[in-house]
Amino acid sequence: MPDAAPPGTRRTLQVFAVLTGALVGAVALALAMGAVTITPGEVVRVLSRHLGLPLGSEPPFRADAVLWNIRFPRIVLGLVVGSGLGITGAALQGVFRNPLADPHLLGIGPGASLGAVLAMVAFGNPTAVAIGGAVAGGVVAAVVLRRFSGDATPDPSRFVLSGVALGAVLTAFVGFAVFAADQTSVPPVEFWLLGSLTAATWRTTAVVTVLTAIGAGAMLATGRSLDLMALGEAEARHLGVNVDLTVTLVLVATGLVAGAGVGAVGVVGFVGLLAPHLLRRRLGSRHRPLLAASALCGAVLVVAADLVARTVAAPVEVPVGLVTAALGGPFFLWLLRRRLTGGSA
Amino acid sequence: MNPLITGDRIGVSRGDATILAAVDVAVRPGEVVAAVGPNGAGKTTLLRVLAGDLSPTSGTVRLAGSPLDEVSRRDRSRMRAVLPQHRPADIPFRVREVVMMGRHPHRRDPDNSAAADAAAVAAALAATDTTDLASRDYPSLSGGEQARVALARVLAQETPLVLLDEPTAGLDVGHEELVLGGLRRLSREGRGVFTVLHDLNAAARHADRIVLLERGAVAATGTPGEVLDAAVLSRVYAQPMEVIPHPFRHCPLVLTVER
Repeated sequence: MPDAAPPGTRRTLQVFAVLTGALVGAVALALAMGAVTITPGEVVRVLSRHLGLPLGSEPPFRADAVLWNIRFPRIVLGLVVGSGLGITGAALQGVFRNPLADPHLLGIGPGASLGAVLAMVAFGNPTAVAIGGAVAGGVVAAVVLRRFSGDATPDPSRFVLSGVALGAVLTAFVGFAVFAADQTSVPPVEFWLLGSLTAATWRTTAVVTVLTAIGAGAMLATGRSLDLMALGEAEARHLGVNVDLTVTLVLVATGLVAGAGVGAVGVVGFVGLLAPHLLRRRLGSRHRPLLAASALCGAVLVVAADLVARTVAAPVEVPVGLVTAALGGPFFLWLLRRRLTGGSA
Repeated sequence: MNPLITGDRIGVSRGDATILAAVDVAVRPGEVVAAVGPNGAGKTTLLRVLAGDLSPTSGTVRLAGSPLDEVSRRDRSRMRAVLPQHRPADIPFRVREVVMMGRHPHRRDPDNSAAADAAAVAAALAATDTTDLASRDYPSLSGGEQARVALARVLAQETPLVLLDEPTAGLDVGHEELVLGGLRRLSREGRGVFTVLHDLNAAARHADRIVLLERGAVAATGTPGEVLDAAVLSRVYAQPMEVIPHPFRHCPLVLTVER
């Protein structure tokens, strides 16, 4: 019965190959396109120079400055934040046994925003303060969410409702805090609602990368336990899973990853919801591959969305969160409709 | 033989309500113990206390002689398997993967192997007549099929003790017979079975001992012949009953009587 096995290694490899291809394509387009068009040859010359293996002649100064100081850190930050959103969505969906879980939809993103705004009001606005505040706010919001929803196995709707209510309240607080604060000391409210990768620097990117890697590692480590928790929390316990540790790890890691992302680029919605759903049908529900592929998929989505955000109304930039919402909203509706009509997710 | 599990003077109260009061229960290797009683008598609560899902307000549960809190999560998972009554219907895995999850406790055993896992899963599928469902997505199954798969997962765990909450709920007559016969077979292999049943005649036929619960307390306990007494049952269920010898089996037959 070979087809009885979980979706096979070959299928998994195919998915990862497609995602990697999409990622390379998105990055290549994002490098070349923008207010200043840069030829592929120039891209290769600039990147090879900075990586210490110069190929071809020295690139024009303008191409070098635009690519290395502006576009490239922005793309890398987009990759990291996107992968953080993707993996966080998959982990939350596992830990709450709910396919509608997304860090920003459920108040963890707004919690991170509030933490960042409050920290900036109190300590000034270097990036480190924003990220530190956002991580703290994200972790607190995640823990509060668990407190409210408890073991969501018997009643998953309670969890979504708690999260949505929590998110609405926290978003309102972010608005109040931004309007009450000195307008020059915190980014405007649009940033917290819709996100932007405009301010990316190598330093920010480095900090967010480290935090995301730690959080992602913790989530991957819980993969097998999350599989068993699909049976229900009590059943997972009966099978020897340390459910409380798993939940705590995932929530703290979510706060860390989502917080780091929010502190750096604001709230970019729907990616965490979308990425796992795009993959589950092909990949199955085992969490290790799903988490890893969701990270890749999130990276592709954010880089692609940011490319659209930069170019769709050039020279004006639209917030990246507008693009992800414009894509994610309809998908979300389609998903709900399919679930209602009995299709399996 | 030493009991696999004992509940000693188990009491559970929630606010002012007493849900269980001083219940004693023990399951030994090779026996099927059935908990019966009307709705709300505390059967499921008793099972949850024995499973460790619920801490009793008073009394002690001992698993293989040790207080339950002192047995590690992993050791528990290798000593007893639990079939709860209410289970999620949307487990996003295939049937074979779900049953394989029952092997999780043995994952790090030095004497376990992929072949042993596969054999245990195959045996569990066969015992619950779910072999043909192995490649199906769990959410696509009917309620009764899901119930059999959940039982298969419990069997695949291969524990000396199984705790089951209404394993036959939602099953057709044929599969009910299959499952109840399976419990007998487990006990003949030397394992202990504690099961909540609502069907008194199923308990009469298949249990070695019955615990009859009445509003959280033990109304009667003993062999089916001892416990299934018309006067006691009529009182506990508030429903007139008759108990006659089964026409062709060596067990009592419980009949309800018009009021």
